[in-house]
Amino acid sequence: MKDPSATRVPARALTQRQTIGAFWLFVLPFAGLTAVFGIWPIILSLQVSFTESASALQPSAQWVGWSNYASVLADPIFVSSLSRTLVYTLLAVVSTIVLALAYAMLLHSPWLGRGVTLFKIAIFLPVVTPDVAGYVVWRWLFDQSFGAVNTALGALSMPTFGGLASTDTVIWAVLIAELWHHVGFYVVIFLANLALCDRGVREAAQIDGADAWQTFWHVTLPELRPALLVNSVYALIQYLKTFTVVAVMTKGGPNDSTNFVSYYAYQLFEQGRYGEATAMASILFGIVIALALGLMMIQRGSVSR
Amino acid sequence: MGSWSRRGLAYAVACTVSLICLYPYWWMLVSAFRSTEAILSSPLRPWPEDISLQVFSEVASIGGTPLWRYVVNSLFITSLATAIGTAVTALGAYALVRRPDVLLFRLLRAGFLATIMYPYMLLVIPVYIVMYKLGLLGGYPGIILFLSLSPIQFFLFEQFFRTIPSSVMEAATIDGANEAQILVHVVMPMAVPVVVTATIVSFLLNWAQWLPVMVVSRSPDTYTLPVALLNLNGELGVNFQGIMALAVITTLPVTLFFLLAQRRVMSGMTAGAVKG
Repeated sequence: MKDPSATRVPARALTQRQTIGAFWLFVLPFAGLTAVFGIWPIILSLQVSFTESASALQPSAQWVGWSNYASVLADPIFVSSLSRTLVYTLLAVVSTIVLALAYAMLLHSPWLGRGVTLFKIAIFLPVVTPDVAGYVVWRWLFDQSFGAVNTALGALSMPTFGGLASTDTVIWAVLIAELWHHVGFYVVIFLANLALCDRGVREAAQIDGADAWQTFWHVTLPELRPALLVNSVYALIQYLKTFTVVAVMTKGGPNDSTNFVSYYAYQLFEQGRYGEATAMASILFGIVIALALGLMMIQRGSVSR
Repeated sequence: MGSWSRRGLAYAVACTVSLICLYPYWWMLVSAFRSTEAILSSPLRPWPEDISLQVFSEVASIGGTPLWRYVVNSLFITSLATAIGTAVTALGAYALVRRPDVLLFRLLRAGFLATIMYPYMLLVIPVYIVMYKLGLLGGYPGIILFLSLSPIQFFLFEQFFRTIPSSVMEAATIDGANEAQILVHVVMPMAVPVVVTATIVSFLLNWAQWLPVMVVSRSPDTYTLPVALLNLNGELGVNFQGIMALAVITTLPVTLFFLLAQRRVMSGMTAGAVKG
């Protein structure tokens, strides 16, 4: 009558209760670091965003309610910085995904036999290169007088590129440098997904008369859904936070045309305007979470459909 | 289009992309050995006029601090942050994977994920305030402890520990082993490859870190190479050759490291993204 598993479960629960202490010990350092350098700062940041900047570091911080948020949202530099950040993020995410997917398909294609490893190394090397060093080099490549970019364009008798000096081109210059640094990461993720795909299904589709475009659209792309989801969430989070490239190459200029939210907030922090800086951080944090969750939900919905 | 011309085209595109990826390294390396005037007159010259090591004496001291100090700082901070991070994160991830039934463990995981979602560059602002309150500003411990919290390590370990079947632990428990013994004798031997991967990947990432180092530091005495490079690049009166030389010094060690362990680095950094 007695189910053997019925007696086994409580027994296991008993040993689990006895050994929980060991796990607390294992987790303690990690919990400590996460609490002190993750959770506490985030809570503190929220708290500071409701206090007056000058008193933020004092024990008797002065509460000012939502006024930091109000002044941030009324600040025309912040509003244009936010819309600039969103436009740039969209541009960067789309170009990253499209380029990475196209290049991964090329590297995965049967046309490239030997050499794929070398091509992978070449595209991934910029990913592990310290971003400051990479962007410093790009800053000088784009330079009007030193720059190799314009000299090369001139040699090919093509029009010169305004690079970092012109408000019209600076976004593209920043995007090129960022793509150079980041795209390899996304290529390798797509390649990992492509390696899991079933070549047989694709061949069957081709035998049934599907052309290359139909095969890609109806067979390969649905199979790549996991990588597409991960890559777009990663890229979204990453480009919304765009910072280093601006700090190294443009300092937000010329004329604020690359003054993205995280850079603007950091500038305020350096001026000691902690309240407004943390209010901006909270707003950006909210946008990151909302967009990332939204994207995940859209993808989940399309999977279950 | 014939199969051969298709192959040719594929190779041509792949070679062009690779060239664009690699050219900045070559330009940086060549520029480090050329004078500012020489670069101004012909920026595209593919090799230096002559090999002179004179530039390295120009970057022997940056902002009044000797170059070796930055090199030692980089090595010291990166190594220690990597070692602490690997140990702490491995143990933490292990506990969280083994005991997801504990509510506080689940909350801790959620808090960690929130930390990752927070715009990292802006997390530095409140971390500065925390360091101020704890008196950690200006010293090595604050920099090292903050850097040792690494998302990619956590995901690598979490993913690995989830693949260990629970029957392995149960068998050891039945044999009378306690949790510490299971960890040391059963789990750790299995975890060696993932520990190696996590160590290499986070060494590369920590080497590149600059903003936390800059914000927590109070003087160039605790600056690492990327921070020194940023400072040199921002100085008035451009020392172009010096900037390129320092960029080479900052890049070369991790480049060699990557080339030696490229397979591990690529799979490690992208692991967990797509389930295999």
